[in-house]
Amino acid sequence: MKIFTHVLATTLGVQALDLHGRDAVLAYGFGVAIDIDHALKAPFYLRAVGLRDERGYYWRSSLQEPVAFLWIAPLSLWLGTAVPLLFFAIHLLMDYSVSFEKMPFYPYSGWVTRGWLVNVPDNVKEAVLFVVLLVANVALWLSRR
Amino acid sequence: MKRLPDRLARSMVRVLRERLGLSPAQITWAAFWASAAAAVLIASRWLAAGLVLMALGQILDGLDGAMARQYQLVSDEGHRHDTVLDRASEALIFLAFAIAGLVPLAHALLAIAAVLLLTTVCDRSGFDPGFKRFVLYFGAWLPYPTLFAVIFGVNLAAYVIGLLIIDCQFQVRMDRLGGDLDTVASRAVAEEAGAIRYPVPATRHPRIDDRPTDGIRPPTRESFSARQIADSG
Repeated sequence: MKIFTHVLATTLGVQALDLHGRDAVLAYGFGVAIDIDHALKAPFYLRAVGLRDERGYYWRSSLQEPVAFLWIAPLSLWLGTAVPLLFFAIHLLMDYSVSFEKMPFYPYSGWVTRGWLVNVPDNVKEAVLFVVLLVANVALWLSRR
Repeated sequence: MKRLPDRLARSMVRVLRERLGLSPAQITWAAFWASAAAAVLIASRWLAAGLVLMALGQILDGLDGAMARQYQLVSDEGHRHDTVLDRASEALIFLAFAIAGLVPLAHALLAIAAVLLLTTVCDRSGFDPGFKRFVLYFGAWLPYPTLFAVIFGVNLAAYVIGLLIIDCQFQVRMDRLGGDLDTVASRAVAEEAGAIRYPVPATRHPRIDDRPTDGIRPPTRESFSARQIADSG
Protein backbone atom coordinates (compact mmCIF):
# COMPACT_ATOMS: atom_id res chain seq x y z
CA MET A 1 0.00 0.00 0.00
CA LYS A 2 1.05 3.57 -0.59
CA ILE A 3 2.30 5.73 2.26
CA PHE A 4 -0.74 8.07 2.14
CA THR A 5 -3.11 5.16 2.74
CA HIS A 6 -1.02 4.04 5.72
CA VAL A 7 -1.06 7.60 7.09
CA LEU A 8 -4.86 7.73 6.78
CA ALA A 9 -5.32 4.33 8.48
CA THR A 10 -2.97 5.28 11.32
CA THR A 11 -4.59 8.69 11.76
CA LEU A 12 -8.00 7.03 11.96
CA GLY A 13 -6.71 4.66 14.64
CA VAL A 14 -5.06 7.51 16.58
CA GLN A 15 -8.29 9.53 16.46
CA ALA A 16 -10.54 6.59 17.33
CA LEU A 17 -8.41 5.51 20.29
CA ASP A 18 -7.74 9.13 21.30
CA LEU A 19 -3.98 8.55 21.48
CA HIS A 20 -1.62 11.31 22.54
CA GLY A 21 2.08 11.77 23.36
CA ARG A 22 4.19 8.62 23.39
CA ASP A 23 1.33 6.39 22.22
CA ALA A 24 0.64 8.60 19.18
CA VAL A 25 4.36 8.55 18.30
CA LEU A 26 4.39 4.75 18.61
CA ALA A 27 1.25 4.51 16.47
CA TYR A 28 2.79 6.52 13.62
CA GLY A 29 6.12 4.73 14.11
CA PHE A 30 4.67 1.25 13.72
CA GLY A 31 1.81 2.23 11.39
CA VAL A 32 3.75 4.38 8.92
CA ALA A 33 7.47 4.83 9.69
CA ILE A 34 8.05 1.08 9.63
CA ASP A 35 8.18 1.62 5.85
CA ILE A 36 11.66 3.08 6.43
CA ASP A 37 13.07 -0.24 5.25
CA HIS A 38 12.25 0.80 1.68
CA ALA A 39 15.02 3.39 2.06
CA LEU A 40 17.37 0.58 3.03
CA LYS A 41 16.60 -1.16 -0.26
CA ALA A 42 17.14 2.01 -2.34
CA PRO A 43 20.91 1.43 -2.87
CA PHE A 44 20.14 -2.12 -4.03
CA TYR A 45 17.52 -0.82 -6.46
CA LEU A 46 19.94 1.77 -7.84
CA ARG A 47 22.64 -0.86 -8.30
CA ALA A 48 20.36 -3.47 -9.88
CA VAL A 49 17.97 -1.30 -11.88
CA GLY A 50 19.44 2.21 -11.96
CA LEU A 51 17.26 5.29 -12.19
CA ARG A 52 14.63 3.62 -14.38
CA ASP A 53 11.14 3.13 -12.98
CA GLU A 54 10.73 -0.64 -12.80
CA ARG A 55 7.66 -1.80 -10.90
CA GLY A 56 7.64 -4.95 -8.83
CA TYR A 57 11.11 -4.59 -7.29
CA TYR A 58 11.32 -6.45 -3.97
CA TRP A 59 11.24 -3.43 -1.64
CA ARG A 60 10.15 -5.32 1.45
CA SER A 61 12.23 -6.52 4.38
CA SER A 62 11.46 -8.47 7.54
CA LEU A 63 10.95 -5.12 9.28
CA GLN A 64 7.38 -5.15 7.91
CA GLU A 65 6.61 -8.84 7.75
CA PRO A 66 4.78 -10.93 10.38
CA VAL A 67 8.18 -12.17 11.59
CA ALA A 68 8.62 -8.70 13.10
CA PHE A 69 6.01 -9.61 15.73
CA LEU A 70 8.86 -11.58 17.33
CA TRP A 71 10.53 -8.33 18.37
CA ILE A 72 7.52 -6.00 18.45
CA ALA A 73 5.70 -8.21 21.00
CA PRO A 74 8.56 -8.12 23.57
CA LEU A 75 8.97 -4.39 22.92
CA SER A 76 5.26 -3.81 23.56
CA LEU A 77 5.46 -5.84 26.78
CA TRP A 78 8.49 -3.84 27.91
CA LEU A 79 6.77 -0.54 27.13
CA GLY A 80 3.52 -1.73 28.68
CA THR A 81 1.35 -0.78 25.69
CA ALA A 82 -0.30 -2.70 22.86
CA VAL A 83 -0.10 0.28 20.48
CA PRO A 84 2.96 -0.99 18.50
CA LEU A 85 1.33 -4.42 18.05
CA LEU A 86 -2.02 -2.97 16.98
CA PHE A 87 -0.72 -0.44 14.47
CA PHE A 88 1.85 -2.83 13.03
CA ALA A 89 -0.94 -5.39 12.54
CA ILE A 90 -3.01 -2.77 10.68
CA HIS A 91 0.01 -1.96 8.47
CA LEU A 92 0.47 -5.66 7.72
CA LEU A 93 -3.21 -6.25 6.93
CA MET A 94 -3.09 -3.44 4.40
CA ASP A 95 0.16 -4.57 2.78
CA TYR A 96 -1.02 -8.16 2.51
CA SER A 97 -4.02 -7.07 0.45
CA VAL A 98 -1.64 -5.98 -2.34
CA SER A 99 -0.65 -8.89 -4.52
CA PHE A 100 3.14 -8.70 -4.78
CA GLU A 101 5.28 -11.51 -3.38
CA LYS A 102 5.96 -11.51 0.34
CA MET A 103 8.00 -13.71 2.65
CA PRO A 104 6.13 -13.57 5.98
CA PHE A 105 8.58 -15.56 8.09
CA TYR A 106 11.93 -15.06 6.37
CA PRO A 107 14.67 -15.91 7.44
CA TYR A 108 13.00 -18.69 9.47
CA SER A 109 10.91 -19.94 6.56
CA GLY A 110 11.14 -19.51 2.81
CA TRP A 111 7.37 -19.54 2.36
CA VAL A 112 6.28 -17.01 -0.25
CA THR A 113 2.71 -15.72 -0.47
CA ARG A 114 0.84 -12.98 -2.30
CA GLY A 115 -1.54 -12.30 0.59
CA TRP A 116 -5.30 -12.15 0.22
CA LEU A 117 -7.84 -10.65 -2.20
CA VAL A 118 -5.40 -11.48 -5.01
CA ASN A 119 -8.19 -11.58 -7.61
CA VAL A 120 -9.14 -7.93 -7.04
CA PRO A 121 -6.90 -5.46 -8.92
CA ASP A 122 -4.49 -3.69 -6.56
CA ASN A 123 -5.42 -0.22 -7.84
CA VAL A 124 -9.08 -0.89 -7.04
CA LYS A 125 -8.30 -2.11 -3.52
CA GLU A 126 -6.05 0.87 -2.86
CA ALA A 127 -8.55 3.41 -4.22
CA VAL A 128 -11.51 1.97 -2.30
CA LEU A 129 -9.56 1.80 0.96
CA PHE A 130 -8.19 5.32 0.47
CA VAL A 131 -11.67 6.78 0.00
CA VAL A 132 -13.16 4.81 2.92
CA LEU A 133 -10.35 5.88 5.26
CA LEU A 134 -10.52 9.50 4.14
CA VAL A 135 -14.28 9.68 4.69
CA ALA A 136 -13.98 7.92 8.08
CA ASN A 137 -11.22 10.31 9.19
CA VAL A 138 -13.19 13.39 8.21
CA ALA A 139 -16.39 12.02 9.77
CA LEU A 140 -14.64 11.19 13.03
CA TRP A 141 -12.89 14.57 13.13
CA LEU A 142 -16.15 16.43 12.52
CA SER A 143 -18.00 14.38 15.13
CA ARG A 144 -15.38 15.28 17.76
CA ARG A 145 -15.41 19.04 17.06
CA MET B 1 38.87 -10.62 16.97
CA LYS B 2 39.29 -14.11 18.35
CA ARG B 3 43.03 -14.33 17.62
CA LEU B 4 44.25 -12.07 20.43
CA PRO B 5 42.33 -13.86 23.20
CA ASP B 6 43.47 -17.15 21.66
CA ARG B 7 47.10 -16.08 21.99
CA LEU B 8 46.59 -14.96 25.58
CA ALA B 9 44.80 -18.18 26.46
CA ARG B 10 47.20 -20.48 24.62
CA SER B 11 49.31 -21.45 27.63
CA MET B 12 46.24 -22.02 29.80
CA VAL B 13 44.63 -24.10 27.07
CA ARG B 14 47.80 -26.18 26.75
CA VAL B 15 47.68 -27.00 30.48
CA LEU B 16 43.99 -27.91 30.33
CA ARG B 17 44.41 -30.05 27.24
CA GLU B 18 47.86 -31.66 27.62
CA ARG B 19 48.24 -31.87 31.40
CA LEU B 20 44.63 -32.42 32.46
CA GLY B 21 43.43 -34.09 29.25
CA LEU B 22 40.22 -32.05 29.07
CA SER B 23 38.15 -31.67 25.89
CA PRO B 24 36.44 -28.46 24.71
CA ALA B 25 33.04 -30.00 25.56
CA GLN B 26 34.17 -30.64 29.13
CA ILE B 27 35.35 -27.03 29.43
CA THR B 28 31.95 -25.90 28.09
CA TRP B 29 30.19 -27.92 30.78
CA ALA B 30 32.56 -26.58 33.45
CA ALA B 31 31.71 -23.03 32.31
CA PHE B 32 28.01 -23.85 32.56
CA TRP B 33 28.29 -25.30 36.07
CA ALA B 34 30.33 -22.29 37.22
CA SER B 35 27.58 -20.02 35.87
CA ALA B 36 24.87 -22.16 37.50
CA ALA B 37 26.71 -21.90 40.84
CA ALA B 38 27.00 -18.14 40.27
CA ALA B 39 23.23 -18.00 39.72
CA VAL B 40 22.62 -19.80 43.05
CA LEU B 41 24.87 -17.32 44.88
CA ILE B 42 23.25 -14.30 43.21
CA ALA B 43 19.74 -15.61 43.98
CA SER B 44 20.89 -15.97 47.62
CA ARG B 45 21.97 -12.29 47.46
CA TRP B 46 25.70 -13.12 47.69
CA LEU B 47 26.22 -10.81 44.80
CA ALA B 48 30.00 -10.28 44.87
CA ALA B 49 30.75 -13.99 45.17
CA GLY B 50 28.21 -14.69 42.44
CA LEU B 51 29.83 -12.20 40.08
CA VAL B 52 33.28 -13.71 40.73
CA LEU B 53 31.95 -17.17 39.81
CA MET B 54 30.18 -15.68 36.79
CA ALA B 55 33.54 -14.24 35.67
CA LEU B 56 35.14 -17.68 36.11
CA GLY B 57 32.36 -19.16 33.98
CA GLN B 58 32.98 -16.58 31.26
CA ILE B 59 36.75 -17.22 31.28
CA LEU B 60 36.14 -20.96 30.90
CA ASP B 61 33.60 -20.16 28.21
CA GLY B 62 36.32 -18.35 26.27
CA LEU B 63 38.77 -21.21 26.73
CA ASP B 64 36.60 -23.92 25.16
CA GLY B 65 36.52 -22.14 21.83
CA ALA B 66 40.22 -21.31 22.06
CA MET B 67 41.03 -24.98 22.75
CA ALA B 68 38.87 -26.12 19.84
CA ARG B 69 40.63 -23.73 17.47
CA GLN B 70 44.13 -24.47 18.81
CA TYR B 71 43.74 -28.25 18.48
CA GLN B 72 41.60 -28.19 15.31
CA LEU B 73 38.61 -29.60 17.19
CA VAL B 74 36.13 -27.05 15.83
CA SER B 75 32.81 -28.63 14.84
CA ASP B 76 29.25 -27.48 14.20
CA GLU B 77 28.03 -29.70 17.00
CA GLY B 78 30.55 -28.19 19.42
CA HIS B 79 29.46 -24.69 18.41
CA ARG B 80 25.78 -25.59 18.94
CA HIS B 81 26.57 -27.19 22.31
CA ASP B 82 28.50 -24.09 23.38
CA THR B 83 25.69 -21.76 22.26
CA VAL B 84 22.96 -23.75 24.04
CA LEU B 85 24.88 -23.85 27.33
CA ASP B 86 25.82 -20.15 27.02
CA ARG B 87 22.16 -19.18 26.66
CA ALA B 88 21.19 -21.51 29.52
CA SER B 89 23.88 -19.90 31.72
CA GLU B 90 22.59 -16.43 30.91
CA ALA B 91 19.00 -17.45 31.56
CA LEU B 92 19.93 -18.84 35.00
CA ILE B 93 21.90 -15.73 35.92
CA PHE B 94 19.18 -13.33 34.72
CA LEU B 95 16.53 -15.29 36.64
CA ALA B 96 18.78 -15.24 39.70
CA PHE B 97 18.75 -11.43 39.63
CA ALA B 98 14.93 -11.55 39.55
CA ILE B 99 14.77 -14.09 42.39
CA ALA B 100 17.09 -11.87 44.44
CA GLY B 101 14.62 -9.02 43.90
CA LEU B 102 17.17 -6.88 42.05
CA VAL B 103 15.04 -6.61 38.88
CA PRO B 104 11.38 -7.35 38.04
CA LEU B 105 10.85 -10.92 36.80
CA ALA B 106 9.20 -9.61 33.61
CA HIS B 107 12.35 -7.63 32.75
CA ALA B 108 14.59 -10.64 33.33
CA LEU B 109 12.34 -12.80 31.11
CA LEU B 110 12.24 -10.15 28.37
CA ALA B 111 16.05 -9.79 28.48
CA ILE B 112 16.32 -13.59 28.07
CA ALA B 113 13.87 -13.42 25.14
CA ALA B 114 15.87 -10.67 23.45
CA VAL B 115 19.14 -12.61 23.83
CA LEU B 116 17.49 -15.77 22.45
CA LEU B 117 16.07 -13.88 19.48
CA LEU B 118 19.49 -12.48 18.64
CA THR B 119 20.99 -15.97 18.92
CA THR B 120 18.63 -17.26 16.21
CA VAL B 121 20.09 -14.88 13.61
CA CYS B 122 23.60 -13.90 14.73
CA ASP B 123 25.36 -16.79 12.97
CA ARG B 124 23.78 -15.85 9.63
CA SER B 125 24.09 -12.10 10.06
CA GLY B 126 27.50 -12.18 11.73
CA PHE B 127 26.32 -9.38 14.03
CA ASP B 128 26.38 -9.75 17.81
CA PRO B 129 27.38 -6.74 19.94
CA GLY B 130 28.02 -9.03 22.94
CA PHE B 131 25.87 -7.08 25.42
CA LYS B 132 24.78 -10.00 27.56
CA ARG B 133 25.78 -11.00 31.11
CA PHE B 134 29.00 -8.96 30.72
CA VAL B 135 26.89 -5.83 31.25
CA LEU B 136 26.01 -7.01 34.77
CA TYR B 137 29.56 -6.24 36.01
CA PHE B 138 28.61 -2.57 35.80
CA GLY B 139 26.17 -3.06 38.67
CA ALA B 140 28.56 -1.23 40.99
CA TRP B 141 27.88 1.99 39.07
CA LEU B 142 24.41 1.59 37.60
CA PRO B 143 21.17 0.15 39.00
CA TYR B 144 20.37 -3.38 37.78
CA PRO B 145 16.99 -2.43 36.25
CA THR B 146 18.88 0.02 34.00
CA LEU B 147 21.42 -2.65 33.07
CA PHE B 148 18.62 -5.09 32.18
CA ALA B 149 17.01 -2.36 30.07
CA VAL B 150 20.35 -2.01 28.25
CA ILE B 151 20.64 -5.78 27.73
CA PHE B 152 17.06 -5.94 26.45
CA GLY B 153 17.31 -2.88 24.21
CA VAL B 154 20.70 -3.65 22.69
CA ASN B 155 19.91 -7.31 21.98
CA LEU B 156 16.49 -6.51 20.52
CA ALA B 157 17.99 -3.78 18.34
CA ALA B 158 20.80 -6.15 17.32
CA TYR B 159 18.15 -8.73 16.40
CA VAL B 160 16.39 -6.23 14.12
CA ILE B 161 19.72 -5.21 12.57
CA GLY B 162 20.60 -8.89 12.13
CA LEU B 163 17.31 -9.50 10.31
CA LEU B 164 18.01 -6.54 8.04
CA ILE B 165 21.55 -7.79 7.29
CA ILE B 166 20.11 -11.18 6.28
CA ASP B 167 17.48 -9.38 4.17
CA CYS B 168 20.21 -7.43 2.39
CA GLN B 169 22.11 -10.67 1.73
CA PHE B 170 18.91 -12.13 0.27
CA GLN B 171 18.32 -8.98 -1.79
CA VAL B 172 21.78 -9.38 -3.34
CA ARG B 173 20.82 -12.95 -4.28
CA MET B 174 17.54 -11.75 -5.82
CA ASP B 175 19.30 -8.97 -7.73
CA ARG B 176 21.81 -11.45 -9.16
CA LEU B 177 18.96 -13.73 -10.17
CA GLY B 178 17.33 -10.97 -12.22
CA GLY B 179 14.54 -11.91 -14.59
CA ASP B 180 10.89 -11.39 -13.77
CA LEU B 181 10.83 -9.26 -10.62
CA ASP B 182 7.26 -10.32 -9.91
CA THR B 183 8.46 -13.83 -9.10
CA VAL B 184 12.02 -13.14 -8.00
CA ALA B 185 11.39 -13.83 -4.31
CA SER B 186 9.96 -17.30 -4.86
CA ARG B 187 12.72 -18.16 -7.34
CA ALA B 188 15.44 -16.94 -4.95
CA VAL B 189 13.92 -18.93 -2.09
CA ALA B 190 13.82 -22.03 -4.29
CA GLU B 191 17.43 -21.48 -5.23
CA GLU B 192 18.41 -20.93 -1.58
CA ALA B 193 16.69 -24.19 -0.62
CA GLY B 194 18.66 -25.99 -3.33
CA ALA B 195 15.50 -26.91 -5.22
CA ILE B 196 16.94 -25.44 -8.43
CA ARG B 197 20.44 -26.48 -9.42
CA TYR B 198 22.30 -25.26 -12.45
CA PRO B 199 25.53 -26.65 -13.93
CA VAL B 200 27.61 -23.50 -13.53
CA PRO B 201 30.92 -22.92 -11.69
CA ALA B 202 30.39 -22.46 -7.96
CA THR B 203 32.64 -19.38 -7.92
CA ARG B 204 30.23 -17.40 -10.06
CA HIS B 205 26.62 -16.77 -9.16
CA PRO B 206 24.49 -17.63 -12.18
CA ARG B 207 22.31 -15.03 -13.84
CA ILE B 208 18.99 -16.34 -15.02
CA ASP B 209 19.81 -15.49 -18.62
CA ASP B 210 22.80 -17.88 -18.54
CA ARG B 211 20.91 -20.95 -17.53
CA PRO B 212 19.85 -23.94 -19.59
CA THR B 213 16.24 -23.47 -20.55
CA ASP B 214 15.12 -26.90 -21.78
CA GLY B 215 13.35 -25.13 -24.61
CA ILE B 216 11.60 -22.68 -22.30
CA ARG B 217 12.71 -19.09 -22.64
CA PRO B 218 13.45 -17.63 -19.19
CA PRO B 219 11.91 -14.30 -18.26
CA THR B 220 14.11 -11.33 -19.07
CA ARG B 221 14.31 -7.68 -18.12
CA GLU B 222 12.27 -6.92 -21.23
CA SER B 223 9.50 -9.32 -20.29
CA PHE B 224 9.57 -7.87 -16.77
CA SER B 225 9.33 -4.33 -18.06
CA ALA B 226 6.26 -5.27 -20.02
CA ARG B 227 4.49 -6.31 -16.86
CA GLN B 228 2.95 -3.37 -15.18
CA ILE B 229 2.28 -4.89 -11.81
CA ALA B 230 1.32 -2.98 -8.73
CA ASP B 231 3.78 -0.83 -6.94
CA SER B 232 5.13 -2.57 -3.89
CA GLY B 233 4.85 0.59 -1.76
